[in-house]
Amino acid sequence: MLRHSAEECLALADAVLAAVPEGEAEVRVVEDDLALTRFARNTVHQNVAETGLSLRLRLVAGGRVGVAEVRGNAGGSIDRLVRLAEEARRVAPAEDALAPLPAPDGRDGPCGWSDATAEATPEQRAEGVATVTTAAAARGLQAFGALSTRATQLAVVSSRGVRRHGRRTAAALSAVVRGEDGAGYADRHAVDAGDLEPEAVAAEVIETAERNQGARPAETGLHEVVLSPYAVQELVGYLSYIGFSALAVEERRSFMRFDERLMSPSVGIRDDCADPAGSPFPFDAEGVSTRPVTLIDGGVCRDVVHDSVTAARAGVANTGHSLPQPNTIGPWATHLVMDPGAVPASELVAGVRRGLYVTRFWYVRVVHPLRTVITGMTREGTFLIEDGRLGAPVRDLRFTESIVEALDRVQGISAERRLQLGEDGSSVVVPWLHLGGFRFTS
Amino acid sequence: MRDVAERALDEAVAAGASYADCRVVVRTVQTLEVKNGRVARVALSDDEGVGVRVVVDGGWGFAGVDRIDAREAEEAVRRAVRIARAGARLRSAPVRLAAVAAVTGEYRTPVVIDPFSVSLERKLEVLLAADAAMARVPEVRVRDSSLEFVREHRLFASTEGARVDQTIVESGGGMDATATSDDEVQTRSHPNSFGRHQLCAGWEAIEEMALPEHGERIAGEAAALLTAPPCPSGRMTLILDATQAALQVHESCGHPTELDRVLGDEAAFAGTSFLLPEMLGSFRYGSEKVTLVADATAPGGLGTFGWDDEGVPAERTVLVDQGVFRGYLSSRETAAVLDRQSSGTMRAWGWSRQPLIRMTNINLEPGDSSLEEMIAGTEHGVYLETNRSWSIDDRRLNFQFGCQNGWEIRDGRRVGLVRNPLYRGITPEFWGSCDAVAGPDEWRMWGVVNCGKGEPMQIMHVGHGAAPCRFRDVSVGPA
Repeated sequence: MLRHSAEECLALADAVLAAVPEGEAEVRVVEDDLALTRFARNTVHQNVAETGLSLRLRLVAGGRVGVAEVRGNAGGSIDRLVRLAEEARRVAPAEDALAPLPAPDGRDGPCGWSDATAEATPEQRAEGVATVTTAAAARGLQAFGALSTRATQLAVVSSRGVRRHGRRTAAALSAVVRGEDGAGYADRHAVDAGDLEPEAVAAEVIETAERNQGARPAETGLHEVVLSPYAVQELVGYLSYIGFSALAVEERRSFMRFDERLMSPSVGIRDDCADPAGSPFPFDAEGVSTRPVTLIDGGVCRDVVHDSVTAARAGVANTGHSLPQPNTIGPWATHLVMDPGAVPASELVAGVRRGLYVTRFWYVRVVHPLRTVITGMTREGTFLIEDGRLGAPVRDLRFTESIVEALDRVQGISAERRLQLGEDGSSVVVPWLHLGGFRFTS
Repeated sequence: MRDVAERALDEAVAAGASYADCRVVVRTVQTLEVKNGRVARVALSDDEGVGVRVVVDGGWGFAGVDRIDAREAEEAVRRAVRIARAGARLRSAPVRLAAVAAVTGEYRTPVVIDPFSVSLERKLEVLLAADAAMARVPEVRVRDSSLEFVREHRLFASTEGARVDQTIVESGGGMDATATSDDEVQTRSHPNSFGRHQLCAGWEAIEEMALPEHGERIAGEAAALLTAPPCPSGRMTLILDATQAALQVHESCGHPTELDRVLGDEAAFAGTSFLLPEMLGSFRYGSEKVTLVADATAPGGLGTFGWDDEGVPAERTVLVDQGVFRGYLSSRETAAVLDRQSSGTMRAWGWSRQPLIRMTNINLEPGDSSLEEMIAGTEHGVYLETNRSWSIDDRRLNFQFGCQNGWEIRDGRRVGLVRNPLYRGITPEFWGSCDAVAGPDEWRMWGVVNCGKGEPMQIMHVGHGAAPCRFRDVSVGPA
C-alpha cells in the first residue's frame, strides 16, 4: 500500500521547489509499492515486497541543466538533492537554445486505479496462486509463475506552474504448466486484481500444456500462422521500440514513411492513454497531457509520438510522450492499442488449411531496425493447424522476420483482445492475428 | 547501519523466523552523457534502503524499505514475516540451506584512482573529445558517449552470525557512432556495445579505454559499413573477437549453469537449462579447448567481491573443464538440493530486491593461439566484432547472434569488410567446434551491465574474461 497521500507527494515536490535557489526547476516524486508471489513446482518459492519513494530534480539556470535523484529517506534529503542537482548543472556547458520547461496545459484524464490492487494482501496473492497450482497438481502437472500487485503514484511540479498528480495500479498472473514432455503458458494483466481470473488462467494454461506434449520437429520456412496476443504484443511492442518515436525518425533509424501504406489495410495501431481497455494515465514525465496519436491507420504510416524536445525541433505539437528529461532515448509510446477485427479468435484458426499456431515468442531482439527485422523463439505451445483445426504440437522454432512485412500479410484479426502491462507502467492491447506468412529460420 | 541490521534480525527472531538476513545498502551513481556535441545529461543519484529476508514456517519472505532506520527495518521484517507465512502453506517442503561458516570481515574494490575524486569537468572533457573525434566523419548522424561511476556500500548480517561490510566501486564508459543512408543504419562502438564497458575499478579503467583516440576509427567504420557488401552466407569458419566471445559465454554458458534455472525456479520467466544434474562430470559441452570458470576473485570483473549476498566467500568454480561439464552457479538453497556447498553466487540488485543466483565473472580460460594465427589458419570464413543482437531459447540451446561488423577471410587473410553478419548454432555443437582460443596476451575482462533475470526484474552487472576464439563449420549469413 502507498504510504503517502497525493497531497503529501505534492507538498514534498513543493518543498523541493522552494529549496531551489535560482532558475527554473522541475520536481518528480514517484512512490511505488510492489508485491510479488512466485511459484515453481506447485510451491511458493519466492515471496517479496518493496516500497520506495524517489525524488528527482531537474534544475535549469544560465543555459545549463543538472539532474539529481534521491531514493531512500527522500523527505530528509531535500538539501542534498538540490546540492547534487546544482553540482551537475554547474559543470554542464551553457546552451544558447535550451528549450524552456513545459507550461501547464490545463487538461486532465483518467487514471487506471483500483483500491483492490493497491490493498491486496499476501494471503490474497497466495489464494490466486493456489488456484493455479491446485488445478495443475490435480492433473499431475507442475505449475510455475508469479502473481504481482503494484501501486504507483507520480507527482510533477515545476516552476512554470505545472502541478500534476496521478496514480495507477497493475496486477498480473502468469503461469507455465509443465508435463512430462512439454509445457503451456497463459497470463492475465489487469488494473484491478479482481479481474485476473485465476481459474481462467489455470484452465487455459493446463489445456495448452496437455495439448503440447511430445512435440515433433517442424519444417522451417514461410508458414501461414495464427499468433496469440502473447506473441502479437511482441510484434507491436518492437515496432514501437524501433520506429514510433519522433527521435527515431529524426535520426533516420525509423521505418516510418508517412502517408505510405506499408502494412495490410486492416492494420490500425494507436497510442491512447485514455483507452479503457489499457491502463489509463493522463500525463507524461514532464507533466504534459498525453494526447492520442494514430500511428498506423489502414496500414498507412500516419504519425509518431513527440516529447517537448522533438516537438520543439520539428515545430509541431507536443503529444506528451516524454520520459524524464533530459534523455537521449527520445519520446516513448506507452499506451499501444491495436484495432480489433470482427471475428472470434477461434474462427481465425478455422480459416487456415495448413499452418502453425504460436502461443508465445521469447527472447525477441532487433536484427535490422530500418527493415524492422527481429528474431526470437517460439515457446510453450506451438501447434500445427490442419484443415482449420489445432493439431499436433511442434518443437520450438526460431523466427527471423520483418514486422512490417509480416503485418502486410494480415488475413484476419480477432475481435477479442488482451492487455499486457509492463513493469514501467506501459501497456499494450492486442488481438489474435492470422498472417498469410511468417518466416521460421531454424 | 550495523544497529539497523541488528534490530531487524532481533525482530525477525522474535517474530518466529528460523533464519533471517538483512542487507543495508547505500548506492551512489554518477552518469554523464554527451550526444552530438552537446552535454545530454549530468545526473547524480543516491539510493539507500534495507532489504530483509526471513524463513518463517519453512517459507521465504522478503521486504525492502527505502529508509535506513531501525523502526522502518522492523516494519519491513513484520511485512516479510507475514508474506512468508502466507506463502508457507503452499510449500511442499521447508526451505533447507547448505551450511556456511559465519563470516565477519570487510572488502573494498581495489582502485588506483577513486573515480569520485575525478572532477565532473574532467569527465565531460573526455566525452566531448571523444564526440569531436567521431564528428570528423560526416556520414555519422548520431554520436553518443557516456560514463558511469558507481559506489555501493553494503552491509550483510544474518541470524547465523555473519557480519560483512563491502564497498564496491565500478567505472564504465563507451561510445557509439551511427551512420545512416536511405536504406541502412550502421553503428560501431568502442570498447563494446550496450552503451558501455564497465569494470570494478577506478578512473584508470576509463583512461585505458582511450575513448577520444578511438572516435574517428569507429566513425569511419560505421560509414564504411553503409556500402560494404553483405556478409557471405553458408557454413564456414567463424572467428569471434573477445567482446562477442564474452557475450557468447554469457548466454550459452553463464545462464545454463545457473542452478535455480536447472531446478525450475525460473521456468515461467527466464527459462530452464539443458545442463541437467545427471550430466555433471560426463557431458561433453565443448571441445577440449574450452574451459570455463566462475571466478568472483578475478581482478576487475563486475562479479568480483568479498562475499556474496548470503555471506558466502568469493570463489572460483570450474564450470566446464576441457570441454566437460563440471559445475554450477549455486546458492545455499539450491546447493542443498544436490547435497553440495554454495558456490557463492547469490547477488541482489540494490536493497529492494532479494538475492538470486547471478553470474559473477564467467570466464573463458585463455588458450595458446592468437587472432592473427587463427586468421592465417582459415581458408574461408569471417571474423566478427562487437555484438549487435542476441537471442537464445529458454533452455539456452538454439541461439542467433548478430555483430556490428565482419571481415571476410580468404586463404588466411582478411579480404574485406562485410555488413549485417549473423551466426547461429546449438550450444554444445557450437562449443564443440571450437578449435582455438587466443592466449593470455589477448585475454581481457569485459563487463556486461544489462543482464536481466527474476521477477520482479533485476538488472545485474557481471563480468566475462574472454579472448578471440575460432569455430569451424558454423552457419553464417547476412541479416
